[in-house]
Amino acid sequence: MEEFLKQFFDVGFMADHFGEVLDGFWITTQLAVLSGVLALIWGLILATLRQLPGKTFLPVRFLTIAYIDVFRGIPLLMLILLIAGGIPALEFLPESLRLPQWFGKPDNFWFGVLAITITYGAYMAEVYRAGIESVPPGQMEAARSLGMGHGQAMRSVILPQAVRKVIAPLLNDFVALTKDTTLVSFIALNEVTLVASDIQSETFNSSALTLGALMFLAVTLPLARLVDKLIAREQSRFTRGAPRVEAL
Amino acid sequence: MTALDGSGSMLSLRGVCKRFGKLEVLRGVDLEVRKGEVVCVLGPSGSGKSTLLRCLNLLEPPEEGDIHLEGRSICRGPGSGSGEQSWELDFVRQRVGIVFQQFNLFPHKTALENVTLAQEKVLGRSAAEARENGRRLLERVGLSDKLDEYPERLSGGQQQRVAIARALAMDPHVMLFDEVTSALDPELVKEVLDVMRELAAEGMTMIVVTHEIGFAREVADRVVFMDEGGIVEEGPPADVLASPREERTKKFLGLVLER
Repeated sequence: MEEFLKQFFDVGFMADHFGEVLDGFWITTQLAVLSGVLALIWGLILATLRQLPGKTFLPVRFLTIAYIDVFRGIPLLMLILLIAGGIPALEFLPESLRLPQWFGKPDNFWFGVLAITITYGAYMAEVYRAGIESVPPGQMEAARSLGMGHGQAMRSVILPQAVRKVIAPLLNDFVALTKDTTLVSFIALNEVTLVASDIQSETFNSSALTLGALMFLAVTLPLARLVDKLIAREQSRFTRGAPRVEAL
Repeated sequence: MTALDGSGSMLSLRGVCKRFGKLEVLRGVDLEVRKGEVVCVLGPSGSGKSTLLRCLNLLEPPEEGDIHLEGRSICRGPGSGSGEQSWELDFVRQRVGIVFQQFNLFPHKTALENVTLAQEKVLGRSAAEARENGRRLLERVGLSDKLDEYPERLSGGQQQRVAIARALAMDPHVMLFDEVTSALDPELVKEVLDVMRELAAEGMTMIVVTHEIGFAREVADRVVFMDEGGIVEEGPPADVLASPREERTKKFLGLVLER
């Protein structure tokens, strides 16, 4: 038992390596927040493209659906390896794209952001779609009958209602995304997983990894509670008060 | 554009056809509506009444036939004849207002915001001007004390009156009413019909799809009876409602008036 505790929960060891692990987790946080925001925006763009009306936009809808299906079906790790190994080898690209060093971040950080955004944009597009499709068709008709164009009606009428309904599932995806940033350790980005596992292989003590896991919990547990709260609030909107029934 | 100036044509339909897949919903409808006229459209469910209204503002563009609005053909466009799209969408939507059976108010906006949104986004009015206009219209439909309420806090009758104000805010030349009292509790019907009576008295051109025979008798200049996607009979309410010529009209009125 003592050996078990020393291997995984050595508090003194954790204290000694706290700074290094926290530095790694700071990179993890930056990676998660930046990719998360970009995926939220990219997903919304994809969902909007998917809803464009009429025959004219059939090719756009088709391409969007193909994109979403493909990138939800590919493992994120493979995409990370494809991008990190492939893009630097594309000689026709300028160096600033092949080996991006923007804002003082190394190229593998940006490759991670790109891969996560591509994958989670596809996931989030599906969440947005569920939200858009849950808005009754009469809303679009009312907006169009008042003279708004499709885009205007989307912006002012449909999306505000749709997004409100899917904030909880979007946050869920964000929690999953945060955990999946650990995959970027495979391309040698010194985020928390890589830092902690390096410590593990040097010292044969796993407590640094446990510390990293605890740091994740410090972020993901409050988020999970927040999701529960949001879901409860959304549901109560539809169960409280009788006039609601008539309105639907 | 008063009721007296009844000579000008507001809407003119020639052989309008609408299909949903194989289902023929409208089979060659001809109809003239003059400026300031109130036309009530009666008929059994599935007779094509609602679809007719939705053709008129191009929510469901017709596949065949033509519609003239204030003398201009509105059915021409890139998908002409396919029910796709019209070049005249803006022309139509700026002149034709519609009120729906299910109100379709924007639930994330207050009553006043429902009325101001399209004024600002479509007509480009300033926020102040739109609010002023919105206040005036909501007062006109008897809701000056509900400006900042959200739709879910309003009764069905109140919601429907907001919807009427919202449509009027765009200064339409014609108003379409699609069974606007059918989703209401009986005691709320009158407040909506009263607003429509006032509108009619002010000379608004109106096409009203309704099951309210009493309203049609009292307010309509003309009653149109539809069945199976066509117009069976039309004329002054005194004639059509009191002594219908067609068997189908008689049968329908018999069933409705029996209630």
